[in-house]
Amino acid sequence: MGPECAKLSIFFIVSWLCNGVRSNSVEQKIYVLLNNTVPCVRLLNATHQIGCQSSISGDTGVIHVLEVESDLDWVLSSGPNPPYMVVMEAHLFNRTTMTRMKGSLRVAGVAVVIPKVGPPQGFSPHNSCPNEGSGVYSSSYGPELAGCNTTVWNPLGNGLSYEDFSFPIFSLREDNETEVIRKCFREHNVAVNGSTPQYPLCAMQLFSHMHAVTNTATCMRRNDIQTSFGIRPEMVCDALSDYNVWGSVVPLNNTAKGHQEIQSVVIAAAQLDGRSFFWDVAPAGEGSITGFVTLLAAAHALSTVPEPERNILYTFFQGETFDYIGSSRMVYDMEKGTFVIDLENIHSLLEIGQVGLRSGSRLWLHSDPVSRRNSTVDSEVGKFVKNLKTEADGFSFSFAEPDITQPLPPSSFQRFLRARPIPGLVLTDHQSAFNNRYYESLYDNAEYLNVTYPPSLTAEEQLEHVTETAMALAEVATVVARALYRQADGDVAQLSNISADPKIVTQMLYGFLVQTNNSWFRALLSPEVQNILGPHPPQYYVGVSNSPVNTPTRLVQYILANLIGTPRNLTQEQCQNPEGVEGESKELYSYYWVQGPVPPNSTQGEAYCVRASVRLTKAYSPAFELQDYSSQNYSTWTESRWKLIRARIFLVASRELELMTLGVGVAVLLTSLLVTYFVSTKADLLFSSSREPASAAY
Amino acid sequence: MNLERVPNDEKLNLCRKYYLGGFAFLPFLWLVNVVWFFREAFVKPTYTEQLQIKAYVKRSALGLLLWVAVLTTWITIFQHFRAQWGEVADYLSFTIPLGIP
Repeated sequence: MGPECAKLSIFFIVSWLCNGVRSNSVEQKIYVLLNNTVPCVRLLNATHQIGCQSSISGDTGVIHVLEVESDLDWVLSSGPNPPYMVVMEAHLFNRTTMTRMKGSLRVAGVAVVIPKVGPPQGFSPHNSCPNEGSGVYSSSYGPELAGCNTTVWNPLGNGLSYEDFSFPIFSLREDNETEVIRKCFREHNVAVNGSTPQYPLCAMQLFSHMHAVTNTATCMRRNDIQTSFGIRPEMVCDALSDYNVWGSVVPLNNTAKGHQEIQSVVIAAAQLDGRSFFWDVAPAGEGSITGFVTLLAAAHALSTVPEPERNILYTFFQGETFDYIGSSRMVYDMEKGTFVIDLENIHSLLEIGQVGLRSGSRLWLHSDPVSRRNSTVDSEVGKFVKNLKTEADGFSFSFAEPDITQPLPPSSFQRFLRARPIPGLVLTDHQSAFNNRYYESLYDNAEYLNVTYPPSLTAEEQLEHVTETAMALAEVATVVARALYRQADGDVAQLSNISADPKIVTQMLYGFLVQTNNSWFRALLSPEVQNILGPHPPQYYVGVSNSPVNTPTRLVQYILANLIGTPRNLTQEQCQNPEGVEGESKELYSYYWVQGPVPPNSTQGEAYCVRASVRLTKAYSPAFELQDYSSQNYSTWTESRWKLIRARIFLVASRELELMTLGVGVAVLLTSLLVTYFVSTKADLLFSSSREPASAAY
Repeated sequence: MNLERVPNDEKLNLCRKYYLGGFAFLPFLWLVNVVWFFREAFVKPTYTEQLQIKAYVKRSALGLLLWVAVLTTWITIFQHFRAQWGEVADYLSFTIPLGIP
């Protein structure tokens, strides 16, 4: 009996294994998995849900490739095999087509083929009035300026990013995979001579089922219920959040929070993030990179001269795209006395917005007409403008102020103004509407900013190649740095020594727009965080609170530390914990162990310690801290969770064939049950004689 | 337990226990009672305790029906208005479905 059992169990195991392998390969034979896809996901705020979702088991439809808009009629009315999965060219991805499809039950989902370069007439899926409800202008503050009444900042914005779609939308890159889809469509789904296409048809299945629904209050409540009562807690959404980066010229004591007696601080700000219609792809080139790269270059230029009278605080805000998460949090911290300075310490503020696409030779200094009605604020702003204008003398551009009745463009500065009438300016390349034709879209990339290189250059040569964009931004950075120095009452004799290095600007642009894995970035980062570098630019979408520090935030933190910090002669242990080392202070400085440049004829650089007054602070909306999920004052954006994001194509049989196969299967099962029943009732008759000797043989 | 082998007075005892137990918000005990003692009460030839068993089974069935009616009504109302009730419904739910209001 024993050996028989063993044999049997081995047989079962083997057949099970074979089965496992076989079913896997059957799956591979049926489905072609699409790897280069990015979904649109659901985001929620105090009142709405936006984005896309599929049903829990994925949405399937017969592929129809849209080349011109009239092809949509086949999908929406005449096609015989609904629902359809619409594969469309990017130029058709606009409000008209999407609205038409939104109302139709014949659309199972949409896949958009995204080229590298955007449509020449421009494309922005963002709102035409970005962050309308969370800026400073409201019914109680300059009501005539609220809601972009006087200036529409992003006239190209079609608002698709803020729509709620009940079907999945994925993006595809123009590559082999898209070719496979097109081939599959041509071979199976195109009707010949007006006849209806014959089964099997080429179909696509998209999975992007979202857990959260309705709004942030609902999903946060469900999170709470799940964690406190659920047996297997299943969180449904997470707050959008990351970290702000700040650095100062004169070190600020990180343990002394709140008001500082002797500090008067000039803030220089920029925003770190962007978004697009799709999840976690946001090149944010002109939108954010030009601004923060300019600020980084200016900070570097200022590190070579003696400290000015006033302190200068560089701040890089995260999550600004989503109702100013980073800046509103910093202002909140300043009000609560949990930041290194408070609002009273702020002397003035300069924000660097989008500065990469100059039209003509002018950059624009925007200020707030409402706070300038106060004469002290007005004269301070006037002085600041004069400082900037003076410093721009002799450069290829000049500064100008837009009409005094024009409000501030969308900017972090607005969040400071909500708290206090701080004199401040926002520096941009646009007078009224954005010059950026691809605001918060996939096309706001290196190509658009003209950060391109002669094809003959190697990666290392490209890194060193000073592009025209870099030259222009370096000039702006020089002027900004000098004006900041003047604004901070620095020694006027030193002004001519301040100048931004175009080489550093070009290296930053290369790293932030082309690929992060380059020798310059590697040298500036600590050995532990090298793994965040890759052969592509980072994504600037802010992301959610349960993930580690975002790549752009980390990069800016390290670059700022290297650019404004000083190398110290410390060992790695001392660098990690400089407590007790003479002349070092953990309260005043952060210490960064960086890899160092690789010298020629060597493979390994010499790591060293850099100390800088550069730190991260939370960019986590106060609404979540206050548990006020329907807050009118603070950002309430959350991102839904999901289990599976997947796209695949396969050949689908007609409904009749599917039902027939199922029917035959059921019939076979029933017959076999019946036969077994009869055999077992007549077993005595059938097996009586031969059974005994057979079992005795074992 | 096979009721065939149980003496009649024991059957009555059991039936009564199940019937009384059902009042502790345990309608399934009534269900069991009805199913288990149905033959005893209505099919078997008469015996002394049968009358009482019959009564218990009838009352159990009545209670069970009442429960079914009440539960069905509540579940229908709850499922229908869950999304509309919002917060209240979430707190009344044991498992919250994902991705629907």
